[in-house]
Amino acid sequence: MTDFLYPFIDSSGVDAGALLDDLARSASAKASESASLCEATVRAHSRLIEEAGREMADRLAGGGRLFAFGNGGSSTDAAALVALMGAHGTQAVAAFSLAADTSIVTALGNDIGVEVVFSRQLIAYGGKDDIAVGFSTSGNSANVLNAFVEASRRGMLTIGFAGYDGGELAGCEALEHCFVVRSESVHRIQEAQAAVSFALWQSVCHHMEAAASP
Amino acid sequence: MPGAVEPVAPQAADLAATALSFARRFARGATLWCAAPSWPHHARHVAVEFVHPVIVGKRALPAVALSGHDVVGELRRVSRPGDILLAIGASADPALREAARLAQVWGLLTAWTGTGERPGAGAADHVLWLEGDALEAAFSGGYVLLYHLLWELTHVCFEHPGVLEGTAADCAGETCVTCSDEGRLAEVVAVQQGARARVRSSAGIEAVDTTLIDSPRPGDVVLVHAGSVLSLVEPAR
Repeated sequence: MTDFLYPFIDSSGVDAGALLDDLARSASAKASESASLCEATVRAHSRLIEEAGREMADRLAGGGRLFAFGNGGSSTDAAALVALMGAHGTQAVAAFSLAADTSIVTALGNDIGVEVVFSRQLIAYGGKDDIAVGFSTSGNSANVLNAFVEASRRGMLTIGFAGYDGGELAGCEALEHCFVVRSESVHRIQEAQAAVSFALWQSVCHHMEAAASP
Repeated sequence: MPGAVEPVAPQAADLAATALSFARRFARGATLWCAAPSWPHHARHVAVEFVHPVIVGKRALPAVALSGHDVVGELRRVSRPGDILLAIGASADPALREAARLAQVWGLLTAWTGTGERPGAGAADHVLWLEGDALEAAFSGGYVLLYHLLWELTHVCFEHPGVLEGTAADCAGETCVTCSDEGRLAEVVAVQQGARARVRSSAGIEAVDTTLIDSPRPGDVVLVHAGSVLSLVEPAR
């Protein structure tokens, strides 16, 4: 299936040594590609990281809370941002992952549909001081889009992460800030989204510290 | 700064060797257990990566994220000989150290990835270590890149069935010329009457004779050969 990625490997070959050499070369090339994409994506979004970080810090300083969401691997990216915000900043903030509670997610998914598992939680939790951060590599996840519409309706600050060309998130009117990783690989997109997410957290910390100092 | 964590390029050969070992174990029916007590989202990400591949048509492989609350206890309950443990976290993490140590005794293939000081020699079968700051590796894409590559290379190995049957170092055992049995490490599970004990090793659970050692205790790691405990290797912790 991935033969086109590894044209140098004969699929009938049994030479483990040669295969290992090729795998290592491929891993190195992809690691370099990932590092370049992370660096370029953070650089391309530096102004947005600064702006969104300041707005997030303002909301958090006013008692706002952060809700992060996504599906599959993106749910773990959301959980990572929640862990950073909740436990690793100079000022711990109230941050929640909307995929964390399996009872709530399966109840909503089973009784209504997977497209409302995040938006319904925002109806219950979200307020005008709060922040919604959603991750979707395709930019087209219906439940992420629905959550932004609900968040926007409630006056929340909305921040999205997408890949490829941004998909529907890029044109979503409910979304105030959208970080798009220009890549066609889900894996490279997630790695660069993590890099941007980390930079965003650093920006939030910077602005919270600046606001707290006399 | 994002991107300051070294890419895995210097460890690319280690990564390739780990992927081949994983593929060989999966081909023989292994389950991958992921433990990341400090960063539980990474254990879950690895599991979803293997179970629900991003590339349509790739086979689903059994991978499970351990909760991280009691890694050793959980692994003891759920794992079987021949499985795989992927530990994600610092070499000083006491739960990961104990899990990696016992997993090897139980016949699991062990891989460990983290930052900072490397685990000591023999702490795991494969060590994939990242340069740079621990927080940054955990949250800025370092680990994510590493296990994305591990997943991808494992699947490339599956496209070369010939290499999956190779005599992997992890299954080549020295056997005794007299009795055809091998000497192996085992953990004492329960001490029984009459100098007997039940032990757990890469061969599973078995009853052995303990005449040659003084008062074994559950948790002791011992050397077993031909149905007898030959010596105490490491007392219970």
